[in-house]
Amino acid sequence: MDFWYTYIVLAEIYVLLGLSTNLLVGIVGIFSVSQAAVFGVGAYIVAAATMNDTLSFVPALLIASACGLALNVLVTLPSLRVSGDYFVVTSFGIQLLATAIFTNWTEGTGGANGLPGIPPPDIFGLAVTETRQFLVLSSVLLSLGCLAFWLAMRAPYGRLLRAIREDELAVAAAGKNILFAKVSAAALAGAFAGSAGGLYGSFLSFVDPSSFDLDASILLLTMVVVGGARTLTGSIIGPFVLLALPQLLALVDIPTTIAAASRQLIYGVLLIAFMLFRPQGLAGEKL
Amino acid sequence: MILLQLLINGLVTGCALGVVAISFSLVYSTIKIFHVAHAGVYTLAGYIAWSLSTRGVPSLLAFAGAIAFCALVGAGIQQFLYRQLERRRASHLVVLIASLGMLAVIQNLIAGIYTPNILQFQIGWSQTTLRVAGVLLSYTQLLTVAMGIAAYLGMMFFAHRTALGKRIRAVASNPFLADITRLEPKRVYVIVIAIASAVVALPGVLVPLDFGLQPYSGVNALLTATIAMIAGGIGSISGAFFLAIGIAVVQNLSLLVIPGEWSIGVTFFIFVIFMLFRPTGLFTAR
Repeated sequence: MDFWYTYIVLAEIYVLLGLSTNLLVGIVGIFSVSQAAVFGVGAYIVAAATMNDTLSFVPALLIASACGLALNVLVTLPSLRVSGDYFVVTSFGIQLLATAIFTNWTEGTGGANGLPGIPPPDIFGLAVTETRQFLVLSSVLLSLGCLAFWLAMRAPYGRLLRAIREDELAVAAAGKNILFAKVSAAALAGAFAGSAGGLYGSFLSFVDPSSFDLDASILLLTMVVVGGARTLTGSIIGPFVLLALPQLLALVDIPTTIAAASRQLIYGVLLIAFMLFRPQGLAGEKL
Repeated sequence: MILLQLLINGLVTGCALGVVAISFSLVYSTIKIFHVAHAGVYTLAGYIAWSLSTRGVPSLLAFAGAIAFCALVGAGIQQFLYRQLERRRASHLVVLIASLGMLAVIQNLIAGIYTPNILQFQIGWSQTTLRVAGVLLSYTQLLTVAMGIAAYLGMMFFAHRTALGKRIRAVASNPFLADITRLEPKRVYVIVIAIASAVVALPGVLVPLDFGLQPYSGVNALLTATIAMIAGGIGSISGAFFLAIGIAVVQNLSLLVIPGEWSIGVTFFIFVIFMLFRPTGLFTAR
């Protein structure tokens, strides 16, 4: 039973992350491969803060999400001012830079060995130690995330973001501030990714750079693409499907040395196939 | 002396990266696709050359084989991926995601076939070194510089003096007009990407002779190359080439004060400076 709980909790964390990616890539149409970096920053912040008893879980999570927000604003503001392709370069750069920091800043992040022994979260004195209890916590946070996403998309703000993707020039001509809308969407995405990271670290009680590298960003993009861009359903389906994939692969006899490569290969094939034949994903709208 | 050695190393790396930058820039300014999979083609070249030469093929022939293979792969990507996407009226974002998918496919096929570990790639002459004025230079490095300069001059000549080069520039500046004047943009695109893939295979086979082969190393090279392209001014061949050399030199000189694993930070810092103060680049094409 615990196996299923673990699967669901992880999938829920990735749904939260998927919502953030979907907001950026699906709704506003900004290509990003640095979401895993923001996710990682959130995870490391919560890990560092709760391990030394500097902070308890709730404020640490809030700080993680604020840092995710700030990071995304810092990254998008200068590049989106110029053009979308500049942001492609920026996001590749941030992702590689973040991996370098996670791997090489040994005092802060434990380097390639990672940080073990992150304490389980406690919510105002209530310790969440069992997977079952964690499932409740992640479900609550996910529901909040979904609600926020849904409300934001119903609001005029959501329509503005969709309109920007359809026709940026028309929106600008209507007197809307495009840069502000894009940067604020990125900020929201950053806050989601940061808090998802904090949840991830304290659930696994261990973080290492391999969960937050370029491959992880590609996995995230695959989740959004397979599930379907721009819809809540799509963001939920994607992670559940993609996280089941490694379990299925474990049934096939693949040497462990190339297991990671074959997983990533499948993500690549999925990205290409969906872009060619079904750009709306399983349950989304046309990208 | 160490300063001079680092300067030389920077120049050598810069020549290789410069060629990556001009080939990427050729695709970007003509087809207007941010061809991320180019990094995969770059990595592929080294592995093909390695496979051929460990099977006893003479090194020059192995290089030629790798270059030809990369040209084919590039043309295939255009014909079977980008063109199909264009027919489906895919947005810029969709093409980018597909290109990223292609990069993942190429890199992980390589990692699956050759294992993700670093592979040493040596040919009889590649490690022979010369000492010139106290600076150590290997034949590989000399060849890289010669290749870089030849590729740069060749590309300049090709783009400005040959009929095909002019046709490519015409298609780049106005695909619609090129279409009605029967310059056949779609065929030009395939040719352009094949040429760019062949050109990127040159540093692709030479750099591993110095640094070994790794399936995921292409992304770093491509990142520096795209930064050079932007900093040099999009559309400018000279800008991309010389800025790549400049960035590589700064990167190498920074080793004096900053450990090597942070060099990505140095590159990125240069990009941020350009983005803030001169987003159109140094040599903007008119």
